[in-house]
Amino acid sequence: MQPFELSLTAAADAIRARQLSPVELVDSVLDRIEKVEPHLHAYVTVTAEQARRAALEAANDAAAGRLRSPLHGIPMGLKDLIDVAGATTSASSRVRAGHRAEADSTVAARLSTAGAVLLGKTHTHEFAYGLTTPQTNNAWNRDRIAGGSSGGSAVAVAAGTATFALGTDTGGSIRVPAALNGVVGLKPTYGLVPRTGITSLSWSLDHVGPITRTVEDAALVLSVLAGHDPRDPASPAAPRADYRPGVAGAGADLAGLRVGVPRNYYFDHVDAEVEAAVRHAIDQLQALGAQLVEVEIPMTRYIQATQWGLMVPEATAYHEQTLRTAPELYQADVRILLEAGQLMPAGDYLHAQRARTLMQQAWARLLDDVDVIAAPTVPATAVAADEETITWPDGTVESVSDAFVRLSAPANITGVPSLSVPVGLDAAGLPIGMQLLGRPLEEGVLLRVGHAYEQTQPVRELAPVA
Amino acid sequence: MSADELTPAQAARWAARTGLPLPADRHDAVAATANHIHSVVAVLRELDFGDTPPAFAYHAGEEKHHAAVRTVSDRSR
Repeated sequence: MQPFELSLTAAADAIRARQLSPVELVDSVLDRIEKVEPHLHAYVTVTAEQARRAALEAANDAAAGRLRSPLHGIPMGLKDLIDVAGATTSASSRVRAGHRAEADSTVAARLSTAGAVLLGKTHTHEFAYGLTTPQTNNAWNRDRIAGGSSGGSAVAVAAGTATFALGTDTGGSIRVPAALNGVVGLKPTYGLVPRTGITSLSWSLDHVGPITRTVEDAALVLSVLAGHDPRDPASPAAPRADYRPGVAGAGADLAGLRVGVPRNYYFDHVDAEVEAAVRHAIDQLQALGAQLVEVEIPMTRYIQATQWGLMVPEATAYHEQTLRTAPELYQADVRILLEAGQLMPAGDYLHAQRARTLMQQAWARLLDDVDVIAAPTVPATAVAADEETITWPDGTVESVSDAFVRLSAPANITGVPSLSVPVGLDAAGLPIGMQLLGRPLEEGVLLRVGHAYEQTQPVRELAPVA
Repeated sequence: MSADELTPAQAARWAARTGLPLPADRHDAVAATANHIHSVVAVLRELDFGDTPPAFAYHAGEEKHHAAVRTVSDRSR
């Protein structure tokens, strides 16, 4: 096994045991980038020389017995909405030409302090306002979409060109590409991971979190990222925690855990192979001792309306100045949404804000009855790059972006944590994801359940990039 | 076209009123997209919000009320 193939957990163990040096690991991943990145286009920029210098420093520290954290010497990518001091935050947009971040975002600073090694910045759908990331190809089939908006991060992790990465998630943008590329994506509780220094799509829906090869890896990254930041108004004063499954809870036994299985919404207009794979994974949870409880998802008629009512005017507000000074620099799909967003009345925005409050209350009641909810992450696997709609067996036609946001949006609106875990491949060899949703700040429960499920499965291999 | 939809000329006027002058070749597309967004979001007008406050920046999990969800039409029942 080459170092680039190692999970974060395995690489960290090897570095700690002095069986692997950060230099060997970073060199291996950079070689992998050189080989497969031309097929994938996951990165906006790769800063190889800086990464090699950081790896050498990390190796010297490791040799002297100074390990800063489990992320010490681990190479990673950051979605290019995340500020790194002195670097351009391109947002994968011409609008940002010449941009230079003055300071590290909170997450970049925390990763740096933890000893992680930055490889480069990964592609996003322009300003995170879309679900495909058209610049980037799916890691499993380059004719299929990467998913978005954190497409570059998910593809890099799936293809071995980053040991882990960060994404952002406003309507599924961590979980959707994670599911479509067969990797783990965690959208934490709203505010748990600070958004300071990250380009916003929609302040009241934005989240930032890890994309990793395994659930245990996600727990390691979350343990470094989470923690109060007074500069993010959503940041809770919760103490920092260790989220590793072995620390946060019991092992693989899920006895006593109540898993909610939705009878509405989450299995409607879902591809048959996706449904079968997710239900099979839910059966595995039951076999581990969990009790399955049928649940009714509340207020489903208002989910899309609330998501759009919040996101559309907030995104337009963020882009107010550049939409006036340089509208031609935006891609057509993003520009039209920003312009049309200008026409939403404040009353409709307030309806969405108040509907969010009602939805949070209804979900809190739902999560009184179960510990987690298990559901598909995305209703279909990655579509072809030129496909704009999905036609369901009953004849309903849905845009790809509407379909991909549909099952993700409730966790953005309510702020509850959601973890996407790979649960197999469809007949075309494309990955399928299951999401686990839980109570606010109960990431530990989701990670425990996801990890227990993973233990029942063979170790996943990297995407077979040609 | 239903009564609550914007014509391209109305969309241009609304945009100008918000400080975003639109070139003439954008009026049709912006009106169509704005009307689609409106058709999605307008469903929220069914809800009876009572005294429910908005949640602009919130701390997830801190609020836990037990009010039932009602629509405006429920109120008249």
